[in-house]
Amino acid sequence: MNRLASFYIEKEHYILGGGFILLLIVLWESMPHVLTIPRGLSLFFTTPSRVIDACYQLIVENQIQDHFYVSSIEFLAGLGLAVAVGLPVGLITGRSRILDAMIDPFITVFNATPRLIFLPLFILWFGIGIWSKIMIVFVGAVFPLLINTYEGVKNVDRVLVNVVRAFGANEWQTMKIVVLPNSVPYIVAGLRLAIGRAILGVVVGEFFGASKGLGFMIATAATNYKVDVVFVGVAIFMGLSLVLTMAVKKIESNLARWRPEEAKTF
Amino acid sequence: MGLKAIYQEYQRPILGSASVLGLILIWELVLTFLIPLNPFFFTKPSLIAVAFKEQVIYGALWGDLAVSSRAFLWGFSFAVLLGIPLGAFMGWRRRAEYTLDPFFTALYASPLVALAPLIIVVFGVGLLAKSVLVFALSIFPFIFNTFAGVRSTDRLLINVVRSFGGGEKDLYFKVIFPSTLPYIVAGARIALGRGLVGIIVGEFYAASEGIGFAISRFGDTYRLPEMFAGILVLMIAAVVLTEGMRKLETVLAPWRTTQETR
Repeated sequence: MNRLASFYIEKEHYILGGGFILLLIVLWESMPHVLTIPRGLSLFFTTPSRVIDACYQLIVENQIQDHFYVSSIEFLAGLGLAVAVGLPVGLITGRSRILDAMIDPFITVFNATPRLIFLPLFILWFGIGIWSKIMIVFVGAVFPLLINTYEGVKNVDRVLVNVVRAFGANEWQTMKIVVLPNSVPYIVAGLRLAIGRAILGVVVGEFFGASKGLGFMIATAATNYKVDVVFVGVAIFMGLSLVLTMAVKKIESNLARWRPEEAKTF
Repeated sequence: MGLKAIYQEYQRPILGSASVLGLILIWELVLTFLIPLNPFFFTKPSLIAVAFKEQVIYGALWGDLAVSSRAFLWGFSFAVLLGIPLGAFMGWRRRAEYTLDPFFTALYASPLVALAPLIIVVFGVGLLAKSVLVFALSIFPFIFNTFAGVRSTDRLLINVVRSFGGGEKDLYFKVIFPSTLPYIVAGARIALGRGLVGIIVGEFYAASEGIGFAISRFGDTYRLPEMFAGILVLMIAAVVLTEGMRKLETVLAPWRTTQETR
């Protein structure tokens, strides 16, 4: 008994947290057995076991793989483009006072505005294929990356920069030796935010004017009242963003042990 | 010499407005003189200005804006009313934190927008579905920021109030609430952005009115100047709200504005 109690106290954190989620799932599963669900509502109702069933069916019948593939391409291409643009622009604006002042109003405005608003425009410009989604993922993910890189460059230790300069380093060498390593933790924090925005872009982009992808699967399933398929899609998105976010967070905490301030969360 | 001094003093705003004006000018000039404008594909600032005047000053877009703001306010208010007590509860009771934190963290990290089609199918096209969507997206910043605020309350202050015989109520209103308020406002700024996403997705997906619907309808009918005017309206609203929150943050907690310049 005593050992059990001490075990509980030691692991209380996990037991309560995991237990609560487990409890919710059990409650959800047992709901139709305990209550009778009204006919109108049962159309929208599903249980975890039916969701797992539906997921298994979709995989066996080879229906989900295509959607998954298309969504991942959009995610990776958009995020890659965001890194390729956001990193250099953030580095340059962090180092140059004049460029910083010139770009600042654009960044403020676009960062405050939800970039999803450009979706109709992108559909018009890039068609309903994969490109409009890549672009929406890109504009969603580029700003957190850019701003965090900028912050990283701005917070670089002046003394270190001056030391390197005093020993005759040019701008490129300063960047390589001091600025870039110092900004890495910030960049990783930006990447974590960018992943969230990118997944948002994939989901919403595929809701409208798409013919493939997990978002499209969710949207069509919802209009056909296939609620369990909706939850399969939602669960995949949830799982992916949790795994990716946790992985980056892990890298972040390894890199940024010395950094007291938390990443900017916008 | 005086001109140079002025430039040195106001370098940032001068350069910033110059680049914005320059971009608009180049955009206008290139499409007027260099490349013939394809009105089904692109538009230029002068046409956008005309459409903006028509839509905003003569009023066509105000109705849409009102519809969107109503849904936004309902969802956002409920997020405030539920999120702050939940966050405070989690911050004040250790077991509550252990129990609720993993669940909320999982929900916060996952793209809940994916549920939008289901929410709209269940709650119907209109105010309710959009409000639910806004609520579901914007509650989490309130929960987590209130939680962090309560957590970071100075233990010393709590002990002082207790030593001088203050009750639970004094504790809440004299110490915990004031020290949590800046965190809540910071959370409200994040929640704002997420709430706007909810409105836009809800109105893109299925709606008959609202600013998001107006923008997507103008896009579908190739009325590009009007569409850009709508986007401009939304941008102005988003910037005003976000910067307003930021101002409020600095007013409520001047000591916290260390290096945040954006």
